[in-house]
Amino acid sequence: MQAKNFEERLEQMTKPEVIKLDHQEMLVKTLLSAKDRSAVSWWWLCIPLYIIAALLMKSFYTHTSFFSNIHQISIHQRSVSLLFFVAVPVIFMIINLFTIRKIYFLSGSPKSISFLLQVWFNVLMVILSLFILIVYF
Amino acid sequence: MTESELLQKIKDSPADFSELFNLYYKPVFGYIFRRTGSFDDTADITADTFLKAFKHIRYFSYRGISVKVWLFRIATNEVNMFYRHSRKKNSLFEKLDFENKQQFIQLLDNDKEALEKELQQHEQFLKILNALKTLSTKYQDVISLKYFEGKNNKEIVEILDMKEGTIKSLLSRGLKKLRKKCNHL
Repeated sequence: MQAKNFEERLEQMTKPEVIKLDHQEMLVKTLLSAKDRSAVSWWWLCIPLYIIAALLMKSFYTHTSFFSNIHQISIHQRSVSLLFFVAVPVIFMIINLFTIRKIYFLSGSPKSISFLLQVWFNVLMVILSLFILIVYF
Repeated sequence: MTESELLQKIKDSPADFSELFNLYYKPVFGYIFRRTGSFDDTADITADTFLKAFKHIRYFSYRGISVKVWLFRIATNEVNMFYRHSRKKNSLFEKLDFENKQQFIQLLDNDKEALEKELQQHEQFLKILNALKTLSTKYQDVISLKYFEGKNNKEIVEILDMKEGTIKSLLSRGLKKLRKKCNHL
């Protein structure tokens, strides 16, 4: 088959058409009431940030070193410290980086400062996560 | 009402998204149906597309690309995601809370019956679609937009966010591959 003929065949062949959809009305009502059910809330990041703030206060009032306090936590509460100072920030960084990428795509690949205004919270989450990781290590 | 006015209306009152839904649900559903050839997959992917659009419409800024192009862009991405992860995909309808799920399933079944009948009337299209589905999604995107949806190169550029040269080259290579496949039919 010639290339030209094949293109003509594609252009001229009949295609299925969607004329009527009965389920449309019911679907829109349900979609408008759909809620996010994400278990990942930014409040989780507040826990390690709170601990860091508490340790900073402790080091200030007891005249001890902040890093030695962190070190003590990592020894005495190993699993808890790994969860809050490593697992939570790493998960948050991954989720937020993916979210930034998704928002970039879904907002029509903007190339302006307005995109930064849309994702400032996600960028902040990435920075805070990085901060927690740096403090811990 | 212009598109940008409708967009502003939705940003002010999200419930007005239903206006946009009613305007574009059928064209987007049709596009996905002609991509997949399956009613069930189409219903699911289209619902996913509009749910994503509803959740992200506040981020959409009107900068030259129309809402319709934006919806086609999300739909194309959803179709490609579906082909990449089809085995892992759970139906969105199972997660949504319908007031009357039985009634919705009944309406969905009615639409399915009608559209499957419609699909069977286009035998040549079905053969070509089955051949097209064996190609890489990048070729499927351009060929279906050009020949199934009748979009011109400029519109395809906007939907796929690619350069015109890339589109032309994908079309040329994709058509060659598809023609080879169709010669065996």
